[in-house]
Amino acid sequence: MGDELLALGGTFLAAGVVARLGRHIGLPTIPLFMLAGIVFGPHTPGVAFVEDPRDVALLASLGLVLLLFYLGLEFTVDDLIGGGRRLAAAGGIYLALNIGGGLAFGFALGWGAREALVIAGAVGISSSAIVTKLLVELHRLANPETRLILGIVVVEDLFVALYLAILQPVLSGTQGVAATLTSFGKAFAFLVVLGVIARWGSGLVGRLISSDDDELFTVCFIGLAVLAAGVAEELGVSEAIGAFMIGVVLAASPSADRIKRLVLPLRDAFAAVFFFAFGLSINVSDVAYVAGPIGAAVVLTVLLNAAAALVTARLYRLDAEPATNVGVTILARGEFSLVLAAVATAAGLDGRLSPFVAGYVLILAIAGPLLASRTRWIARRVPAPMISSGDEQ
Amino acid sequence: MNEGQPAGLDIFEVTLPGIGRRYTLPVAEGARVVVVIHHSGRRDLYAFPAGAPVDHAPAASISLTDDQARRLGAVLSGAYFKPAVVADVETVIGNLLIDWVTVRADSPATDHSIAELEIRRRTRMTVVAILRDGTTVLAPEPDERIRAGDRLVVVGRQEDLGGFLRHVVGPDRG
Repeated sequence: MGDELLALGGTFLAAGVVARLGRHIGLPTIPLFMLAGIVFGPHTPGVAFVEDPRDVALLASLGLVLLLFYLGLEFTVDDLIGGGRRLAAAGGIYLALNIGGGLAFGFALGWGAREALVIAGAVGISSSAIVTKLLVELHRLANPETRLILGIVVVEDLFVALYLAILQPVLSGTQGVAATLTSFGKAFAFLVVLGVIARWGSGLVGRLISSDDDELFTVCFIGLAVLAAGVAEELGVSEAIGAFMIGVVLAASPSADRIKRLVLPLRDAFAAVFFFAFGLSINVSDVAYVAGPIGAAVVLTVLLNAAAALVTARLYRLDAEPATNVGVTILARGEFSLVLAAVATAAGLDGRLSPFVAGYVLILAIAGPLLASRTRWIARRVPAPMISSGDEQ
Repeated sequence: MNEGQPAGLDIFEVTLPGIGRRYTLPVAEGARVVVVIHHSGRRDLYAFPAGAPVDHAPAASISLTDDQARRLGAVLSGAYFKPAVVADVETVIGNLLIDWVTVRADSPATDHSIAELEIRRRTRMTVVAILRDGTTVLAPEPDERIRAGDRLVVVGRQEDLGGFLRHVVGPDRG
């Protein structure tokens, strides 16, 4: 027991200290938690707080569950509908270009079809945590394009949930059409049942776990979230989607805001363990081995996002600087890429996937925020004819 | 750009998914004040001077806690000092003031009933409603216990508000 406590304490402290150092130069926490895992892990020389990543595996998966649970809690249909058709169009453009490009890239790498699907998601979906934090810290909440950026992120969040739901049956590698259809059916039925509960039964679920006492309330909703994740996992649907859906159910209950407030510190603590644990499994020499694909993926993502931002700018008639803000802010990759890589590792996919995603996230989670704080400089270098188009309308 | 739905007289509201809501208040000659209310209760204030382009960075921005924002709101609404030229302030009608305050965990009133606190006798203010977890206790009984996080709607005379705040909410945090 002492060993495990040492490992866990070291995990929290190492993650915290490294992320604090990064904060001084404006770096987000997610890549640094992961970096701390790599540096203080068993594959690099020097201090290794955790010799065996399995020592923190349970708490890391609790982090994953809480991460997705919170995402579900924040998800409201109003946010999605409120943006109107143009927002759906902008979100659609982002997804089509990024997921489409990622899928093509994944197949081009030739690591396998299932691996390509994971790469498409990991490369295609930006980090809502980093994007939201960037907007707050760069004082851009009052900007006209902020609503659009957050709207695109919401569309991506919804896509992540659906993608995880369909990915799990594919990744589990069931043989034969009937077996695949059965597992799709199970995933679909699970989503429908929880969707129905979210629509009509959230009041009842809310009352079941509701308590005036914060302590009892926290214990109950954490239990519900973890249980839903476990049930989903048993059904072969992925723990992440179970946690997400129970979050969606509770988001519609009257206590949603209270749950968010209570679960936030827990999510932050255990999500850090999840990112750190992911870092533990990464061997730097494996990352160096896939440096070529990582570089290619980064370049591809930058190009696809520039293209998506230009199309969106035309659609919304944005000037150069807001358009650049959109393109650069949404560039950051983070938690969802790591979640997908973790899911892929659990399913026993190609071993190159994790180091690939680790290197890719490390570059874009750090480059994205650094670029985002310098958009004025970039905007001046965007050729004017590429942006100014909307005036004739 | 679409600045959102009018939320009232000359205030425009936009939902910021994952963050909260944004209110834009156009003031004189093209200057704007933007208020962002976070789900966490945090408030961000942005000031844009007259003539600044829409996509320009704000001239000033500041973050406030829920409590600080409420106090600032009270100051702005004239709860502490009402210049003689101002005939009516919405929350101050004649000498009658309606305000709401949030009770904190460290407030003197926390876990005490209204009767124990002798709110009406000691502060000359009346608690007319308690907002708690999305429900409202209208005209609370004297034995109603005040809990941390409660929002109390109080009515009284303007000059009694300061005493009420000291007695019930406690000193303002930094």
